[in-house]
Amino acid sequence: MTTAVARRRRALSDYQVKMLFLMPTLLLLVGMNVFPLIWSLYLSFHRYAADMPGRAPEAVGTANYTALLHDPNLWRYFQITAEFVVLAVGAQFLIGFGVALLLNREFKGKGLVTTLILLPMMLSPAVVGLFWKLIMDPNWGLLNFLIRPVTGAAPAWLTDARTALPSLVMIDTWMWSPFMMLICLAGLNAVPKYLYEAADVDRASGWFKFRHITLPLIGPLLLLALIFRTMDAFKLFDMVWVATAGGPGDVTEMVSVTLYRQAFQNWNTGEACALAYILLVVIIALSNLYIRWLNRVRGEA
Amino acid sequence: MNGRIKSGLALAAIGLVLVIYLLPIYWIVATSLKEYSDILARPPKFVFAPTLRNYVSLLLVPGEGLHATPFAARLLNSVIIASLSTIFAVAMGTMTAYAFSRFRTRGQGDWQFFILSTRMLPPVVVVIPIFLMYRALGLFDTHAGLIVLYTAFNVSFAVWLLKGFMDEIPKEYEEAALVDGYSRLQAFVRVVLPQAVAGIAATSVFCLITAWNEFAFALVLTQNTAQTAPPYIPSVVGSGATEWGRIAAGTVLFLLPVAVFTFVMRKHLLRGATFGALKR
Amino acid sequence: MRHRWMTLAGVLIAVALLAGCTRKPAGTTKAEKIVIGWAQWAPADYLQELSKEYTEETGTKVVVEQIPWPQFQDKIFAAFAAADDTYDIVVGDSQWLGRCSDPDSQHYLELTDWMNENLDVDAFSEAALINLGEYPKDSGRYWAVPAETDAVGFAYRRDWFEDPEEMAAFEARYGYALAPPRTWQELRDIAEFFTRPDEKRYGAALYFGKQYDTVTMGAQEVMWSFGGSYGDPETYRVEGILNDEAGVKALEFYIGLRKFAPQGAESFGIGKECVDAFNQGLVAMAEDYFAFFPGLVDPEKNPHATQTGFFPSPAAIGPDGEERHYISIGGQGFSIPRYSKQQEAAKEFIKWFCQEPVQVKWAGLGGFTANRNVLASEEFLKATPYNEAFAACFPHLRDFWAVPEYGELLTVTQTEWNAAVNGQKTAKAAMDAVAKQHTEIFEKAGYYK
Repeated sequence: MTTAVARRRRALSDYQVKMLFLMPTLLLLVGMNVFPLIWSLYLSFHRYAADMPGRAPEAVGTANYTALLHDPNLWRYFQITAEFVVLAVGAQFLIGFGVALLLNREFKGKGLVTTLILLPMMLSPAVVGLFWKLIMDPNWGLLNFLIRPVTGAAPAWLTDARTALPSLVMIDTWMWSPFMMLICLAGLNAVPKYLYEAADVDRASGWFKFRHITLPLIGPLLLLALIFRTMDAFKLFDMVWVATAGGPGDVTEMVSVTLYRQAFQNWNTGEACALAYILLVVIIALSNLYIRWLNRVRGEA
Repeated sequence: MNGRIKSGLALAAIGLVLVIYLLPIYWIVATSLKEYSDILARPPKFVFAPTLRNYVSLLLVPGEGLHATPFAARLLNSVIIASLSTIFAVAMGTMTAYAFSRFRTRGQGDWQFFILSTRMLPPVVVVIPIFLMYRALGLFDTHAGLIVLYTAFNVSFAVWLLKGFMDEIPKEYEEAALVDGYSRLQAFVRVVLPQAVAGIAATSVFCLITAWNEFAFALVLTQNTAQTAPPYIPSVVGSGATEWGRIAAGTVLFLLPVAVFTFVMRKHLLRGATFGALKR
Repeated sequence: MRHRWMTLAGVLIAVALLAGCTRKPAGTTKAEKIVIGWAQWAPADYLQELSKEYTEETGTKVVVEQIPWPQFQDKIFAAFAAADDTYDIVVGDSQWLGRCSDPDSQHYLELTDWMNENLDVDAFSEAALINLGEYPKDSGRYWAVPAETDAVGFAYRRDWFEDPEEMAAFEARYGYALAPPRTWQELRDIAEFFTRPDEKRYGAALYFGKQYDTVTMGAQEVMWSFGGSYGDPETYRVEGILNDEAGVKALEFYIGLRKFAPQGAESFGIGKECVDAFNQGLVAMAEDYFAFFPGLVDPEKNPHATQTGFFPSPAAIGPDGEERHYISIGGQGFSIPRYSKQQEAAKEFIKWFCQEPVQVKWAGLGGFTANRNVLASEEFLKATPYNEAFAACFPHLRDFWAVPEYGELLTVTQTEWNAAVNGQKTAKAAMDAVAKQHTEIFEKAGYYK
């Protein structure tokens, strides 16, 4: 007993353990997130080119912000991004839900199927963008080979201004609809069977059951998934950069792409930082909206 | 009877869905095994004579025997950087998650939200100052630079996931240990960690995959020495016409570990895949 | 128990130190190896081949790091911005001279004195020296030693052109003989003639894409040959000059050629898709820099290699009726980054490279020498099927803006002209947009004070 007590007296107290366990993480996060954010804010009020270190940052007040907010091109890029997000997240949701309904039954090999469908979203978005470029090649890609006999059309997908953005939506949906599917499947599983049985006793229609039992119970989960996908789709850079680099023309120039271009091709560092902040504000606003909606739905359910 | 047909249709539909999701992946694997002329064949060839030429040319330098090619070097960099950053992130994450789970901290909710919000941060927002920071610190194009960055990137996710796991481990076991005279640290190591192994494994896999797949930071912050595979693969183009066979081979080699991990850890992945929303 | 913690802590610290130790070591004093950064293409292969001789002579290993064209500029400038010492020689594009020689960046070492003392400066072709090495123009200050000269040219299917039936049909339709075009107007006729989508044949694969500087290099030739210009070289005024009648008509003409190009042509980039299309037998003519033509005479890559002919970018008849002939220059020079730790070794290599016997070997391997003696030699002209066409380009070479802001200016022309090719904008709208944005860029940079 005395050795144990002695051991404990020599050991670290709860407070010390807490500090030891918390501080390194918090310090790292502050150093790698907070500090850069502050520096970025500072630079956004200056004119600076990171590859011309001889020129000190020149204070220009809010000139960068005003220039950006008055730039009609930028507004178009936000619109393109929003279009992409709505289309992609919408498609992923519908397809994911549909496939979940399909899989929501017992069959042999269900576990295997679920695992295999998990694969697309585990891959690197940049690499996915690259191999879809091959598949979508208008002249010898697999996709045109498959659809030409069916529809007669053989579009140029990623290189045609009319189909470029929908092509990106397709690729993103291929990658992430399994994610939505998983969430919907788990949600569907979690609905207690007796509720359906009770409704059947009352001879409720399929639609009625769906609307009044299924939807309210899996609503919060779906919303959470929507939030994540929306945030991710908004930030998308890797896949777009490799697949189209914003082209053809600038029909797929999403905000993250133009930010990279400003920062690391044009070396307009100050303006790029201002744009980064504008993007950040938009994302925070969006997530706030979503979370408020989520709380409301949770409150109802 | 009706049910039978419905089941049959459903199974067919499931088969179709599987084909749609897996066909692109099959196609890339097939492309990596094709000769150059087969790749550009019209119509695309489903049956062909496979060759390992693409893989060999990607990994070995011709005429010099087993010499590491740039691609092999990049792959190795990916392995080193992803593994080390995952070890650090999960280690730190476990400790922090435990602290949040067991100790009441002032403003804990705020700290947790702060940690969560760093996950929401688009990389592009911090990449510029980090570039400047690394330039000043001499960390540009170094392994250490990317490792620290990826650790910071992953630790917030790790904390969030692991806190969920920690919360599920009943406090009674540690408290019993503490009563028995173990120190807090000993209780953590001997009692809590073994129970958290499944959660730690799942979290590790996710952090590993995230670090492995990372593209934007690697693109901006590395040049040759510490460059990882993702920014390099799109450039394995070859002088002259595009060498899709080599690109496909590089892609397959890069995707292989992820596929293997996904398969091996599939039971544990559900929680992380849905950001902790599902706990099955 | 304590011991286990200590060992664990020790292991973690050791690992961290190990990771930190993979930081790059400081440059060694003895030059064992120099690294040359260039784009990924055949000339870089030739340089690697040629440098083996240097290694034999001096023992210094030379590694040519090849970066694909679309990423070449980004990667090199990122290395410069990070003061990275990876590259000892950078074979940079001519447009980079302004930004890299600017006193605020000093990415390149000034080589004027060294060149005058160590090299035979007169041996360089004048066009090469001025465009690839001198900045500002007419200042006599050099920042790069011309290494590879280049120009935009065309490959064409001799078997299609020399087919008697085709020749008869062409002459009947257009009133003159079918032959490699002397003007862009003739090129248009030929392209139209050979565009038969049902036969999977198209007229020409041209520089339309958004990557790097593709569509700019393609369209600017036409613009110059029509009598247009980027702006006043003295006052940097753009408005009213760039988007004057000649400029707009030129762009209209250029984007009008899109319909004679294969599907997906609006994304055709330098060194890739145009050559690919030609190799697959899709087009009668393909535009590209001469440095990419080795792939076209290689029977393994091009099934019609023996039937492939070449001609320089044609002249054009402008709206004013005058004929002008301008060709987009290419080519790069050897520059030494300020950050290199082996500057002396780099200079030694460049000095060796510029010797005339080495230049002869360089040309023999396929490099486009800048040495005027070698360029004029029979040996060079007969070395490949395209060298003669290449040599014919020299009197007509012209370059894009080489000012420090060239990158931004280039992004504007790339975006707007590619949008015009895509049909998103009319030629007039695109030219006006370029003029407006170029003016803004010059204004922001203080050129109008």
